[in-house]
Amino acid sequence: MIFSLVGYYSLILGLIIGLSLFYFSYKNFNNSNILDTKILSFTFLQLLFVLISFLCLIFSFIFSDFSNETVFNNSHTTKPLFYKISGTWGNHEGSLLLWLLVLTLFIFLFLVKTKNQPIKYKILTLVFQQIIIVGFFLFLIKTSNPFNYIFPIPSEGLGLNPILQDPALAIHPPILYLGYVGSSIIFSSVLAATSLKIISTSWASHIKKWILISWIFLTIGILLGSIWAYYELGWGGFWFWDPVENVSLMPWLALTTLLHCILVLEKKSILTSWVIILSIATFTLSMCGTFLVRSGILNSVHTFANDPERGLFILVFLFILILLSILIFFFFHKDNDRKSYNFFWLSKETSILINNWFMMYFLSVVLIGTIYPIFLDVISSQKISVGPPFYHKLMIPFLIPFLFMMAIGPKLKWIKSQLEDKIYLISFLIISIILAFLVLKNFNQNILINTILISSALYLFFITMRDFFVKKYKNISQNIAHFGFSLLILSILFNNLFASEIITNLKVGETFENSKTKIVFESVDQKTEQNYNAIIANFSISNSNGEEDRFSPELRIYNQPVIATSEADIKTTLMTDKFIVINLVQNQDFFNVRYQVKPFMLWIWLSVILISFGGIVSFLKKRS
Amino acid sequence: MKVLRFFLILILFLPLNLNAEENDKRNKITKNLRCLICQGQSVYDSDSEFANSLKIVVDKKLEEGLSEDQIYEYFKTKYGEWILYDPVLNKNTYILWLLPLLIFLVGGAIIYKSFIVKK
Repeated sequence: MIFSLVGYYSLILGLIIGLSLFYFSYKNFNNSNILDTKILSFTFLQLLFVLISFLCLIFSFIFSDFSNETVFNNSHTTKPLFYKISGTWGNHEGSLLLWLLVLTLFIFLFLVKTKNQPIKYKILTLVFQQIIIVGFFLFLIKTSNPFNYIFPIPSEGLGLNPILQDPALAIHPPILYLGYVGSSIIFSSVLAATSLKIISTSWASHIKKWILISWIFLTIGILLGSIWAYYELGWGGFWFWDPVENVSLMPWLALTTLLHCILVLEKKSILTSWVIILSIATFTLSMCGTFLVRSGILNSVHTFANDPERGLFILVFLFILILLSILIFFFFHKDNDRKSYNFFWLSKETSILINNWFMMYFLSVVLIGTIYPIFLDVISSQKISVGPPFYHKLMIPFLIPFLFMMAIGPKLKWIKSQLEDKIYLISFLIISIILAFLVLKNFNQNILINTILISSALYLFFITMRDFFVKKYKNISQNIAHFGFSLLILSILFNNLFASEIITNLKVGETFENSKTKIVFESVDQKTEQNYNAIIANFSISNSNGEEDRFSPELRIYNQPVIATSEADIKTTLMTDKFIVINLVQNQDFFNVRYQVKPFMLWIWLSVILISFGGIVSFLKKRS
Repeated sequence: MKVLRFFLILILFLPLNLNAEENDKRNKITKNLRCLICQGQSVYDSDSEFANSLKIVVDKKLEEGLSEDQIYEYFKTKYGEWILYDPVLNKNTYILWLLPLLIFLVGGAIIYKSFIVKK
């Protein structure tokens, strides 16, 4: 009760501070020798109030205060403490409060950490960020107040969706939001820098750190979601081209493009318009993502809380932000770098532009694939589905030249360059093709495209691998990330090509056997936990080499709300994952058993960690 | 050395997987069908009753000797285009399939025209 009250009024205070900051910024802007200390302390106060509000919501969850509607809808007294806490952001209202917390946190850190930049720029960035923050305050208070009362007070809550009761998913939203919302600071500062016409090489190296932060968190956030989908959704895949996954991929693509593009700006002070457009696009895509997910327009596994009013609010808000940025772009920005700057075909600039070109293509595929079905539905009420085959067909052919460019591009010099070490480059190419062919020679499906694909990925793999040992080659962070990417593509390809699967129905005591695998369904146990009851099936599975593994997949029946889920049992080793999941067949006494052997699964995760590690190394690197 | 071991193991893997081919066609088809009662799952991935009955239908149609495209056509007429994950190219989907490619071409043209020094 008291928490709801404190939480709600903290929000109101935060909003008032946001509004007053506009006034202080205006005053300080006209007299900007030093940054007004009021601005800094008010920004801190705002952060503090949002934090208090957020903590109040957490405490309401911990103490199961069911007079709070959000808690009532998403929690239950029997849930373990950890999931009570993670339930705070496992719903619409709480996750928006988390958005707000990250927004205020980032602007505070920005003001504190930014040095050597004009005071006016800092103030203006704050103003733009406050526009976003105030918008979110209004959105939260008006349409999604996390502190609504219920009376009479219910004695028990409705519980949290069981598939969200999971450690990876408990930390997935905060990490992802740090990435999503982190892009807001890029958006605000690019608008500020455009208005003041201070986009330059020094601005580029200052904003690069912020791009890296968002990028690292977004990468890890997507990874966590993917790992969760792999073991929790229970069908053994890790990326489904589900609209909500696409929605997180789009800002990632834009941010990755921006990360490469900013390198050119940092060195050569060109491509300014492009950097501005990309920065605006990244945040807009994050916002669009929120809109699409929250409005319930998308048919997806992630859709919770569909409410047209919320959708409309975000849409209007988004429209205002886009309009604002377009106005600023056209009124203040003068692009004069085109005439004064040219470069040759074989140069670092060209290779980065080619990266941007391909990334934008991938982004357009994902964007069009995600929103076109909605668009078609609206104009002609025809429903079509756009699934994995669409994305694969349009992306995979373009991945091949992209991978080659990733290998060669970083070796080029600025403006005009020549390929060095041609012998190495060509011999690695030949080795890659031969190896790819050897790997695939017994494989009769699509051998040509797979050979080309694997050899291009192998090529990047070998080239980046060699670069680790070349002394004069300095750019270690780039090399780690590119190496990680080659490993990612290779793992995904091998994982797809060499996975095997057995689907069968078994009763207790029965055995399934084919030439390679023997599955014995030994017994069934029961288990009772605080938040669920489980049926545990015990299997022993042996392969033709005589190796035997024991598996215990579960069927869980969660009590609040009553939902049955399948918990897969996964044996992870360095080279393969063995994955088994069971399902109850209605009105029958046998179980549906699905057993998969998935090579290189671990390497998919490791390679993404490696990619983000590249980002971390770059972030920690001292400016030379 | 580590790399070499990587690939030796990989090559050893190969024979293990060839037996899966008998089910390949059915799996490929069911992966392209949307489970209509699920949230964003394919028929292949789902274990709902609807998905399971559709799997049986696919098996039956394959036994009858229908080709992959004929089976898609069958489901399309029965449930509408919504069920296919791989949208066919027709007047409804020209934009879907061709716009990304167009963007790619335009992007390339812009880069070529504005930045690169011609010899």
